[in-house]
Amino acid sequence: MTKKSTAAAIAAKDKLKASFFKKGVTIGLLSGLTYGLFAAFITLAMQRGIWGDWYGDNTAGLSTFTIVFILGALGTALNDICSAVWALINCGRKGKLQDFFRTLSTAPGKMLMVAAIMGGPIANVAYIIGIQLAGSIAIPITALCPAIGAILGRVLYKQELNKRMALGIIICVSASIIIGSVGIGGDTGDSIVLGLVIAFVAALGWGLEGVLAGFGSSMVDSEISITIRQVTSGVANFLILLPILGLLGGGITLPFELAGQAFASGSAMIWFAVSGFFAFISFMWWYQGNSMTGAAMGMATNGTYSFFGPLSCWVLLGIIMGQEGWSLTAIEWFAAVTMAIGIWVIAMNPLDLIFKKKEEVIDEAA
Amino acid sequence: MKPLNYAILKHFTKVEEASASHVVEALKDKYGDFKALNEKEVLTALMTAEANGLLEESRYELSGSGDVVIYYRAHQEGLEAINKYIKD
Repeated sequence: MTKKSTAAAIAAKDKLKASFFKKGVTIGLLSGLTYGLFAAFITLAMQRGIWGDWYGDNTAGLSTFTIVFILGALGTALNDICSAVWALINCGRKGKLQDFFRTLSTAPGKMLMVAAIMGGPIANVAYIIGIQLAGSIAIPITALCPAIGAILGRVLYKQELNKRMALGIIICVSASIIIGSVGIGGDTGDSIVLGLVIAFVAALGWGLEGVLAGFGSSMVDSEISITIRQVTSGVANFLILLPILGLLGGGITLPFELAGQAFASGSAMIWFAVSGFFAFISFMWWYQGNSMTGAAMGMATNGTYSFFGPLSCWVLLGIIMGQEGWSLTAIEWFAAVTMAIGIWVIAMNPLDLIFKKKEEVIDEAA
Repeated sequence: MKPLNYAILKHFTKVEEASASHVVEALKDKYGDFKALNEKEVLTALMTAEANGLLEESRYELSGSGDVVIYYRAHQEGLEAINKYIKD
């Protein structure tokens, strides 16, 4: 190659790699946004049909434990099942259904199933028990998952984690903690320390899921990865999470009786289908973003869900549906800006902008 | 028959280096009816594998149409990881 064509090739290659990274960051941010939409639609679904009675008049006479924990887990389980159906339809449409079945029995396929169980039933159970024991102060602890993901990515897969990226992660996690702390009142539980430790298990589960799934998705097509994730999580939520919660309060068959009524409630199931669709898109992009940019960046961009969640609820439930109490607080807006700064710090060195400009000026002068 | 993405990675355990178009050409016989067997999606798979330390760039050149063509190869660690996770 001549000098000129070499320079042109370098420029074209750098452009291609930069666009790949930017695509990864965009996909990561969109995963946060669609997670927010999933959160808003699942909230809406759990207000409709039979859910309106369970959370309202409660003519069935459900206990507080059942209302808070079993119904919460049932909502997640229904959402994941709907999400799995969407993922399977997508695989069929793209001609990847056979590859989905072929991947299940392989090592990366099993890695994705472990990730789904870590992030699905295990982290969810830990999250629920953590809140039960320590109160809502346990919620911000779970916001540590991006930091845990970044550290595990560094240890397990030697992914890059320099001081600047660590600073960016700290900024993002702090912003998530600020949002999670909004509304924390005096509702502390019986055993705060144990509750916080168990909440940390939830953060560990989600952190591990992000890393395992990101690495798994470097070998498995992301559309197949997400199908494995949602099918595993949906089935495990029904076979592990709900029976455990049933045993803790009301009997092992109770969650399944409620599930039968929920499935029959068409006006709610329509919205679960919508929330499941956004969950499918969101998790697929989370896995894809993680595999394209590394766990540190992928989890930080996905972590914007802690802002997009309240934002989507405000727009859908507050503005569109006209419900009160969904507007965002000044603290949430402040944390969102802080989070954006954190992601920027992880992605690039802000000082580069200043020095690059200076170099360009010198070059032009020369 | 392996999933397409596995076949793409496994290809690098058999050749010194390959570009996305080489991979498409090599897998055409077996995976020709797969919608995802096209240069764009294969390149995404290769760049993702590079981001996760499975492959590395070996060289690059400009094609006749002025597009950059990147060649990838599996370094020793990547080779071991591919063979460890994807069995024959």
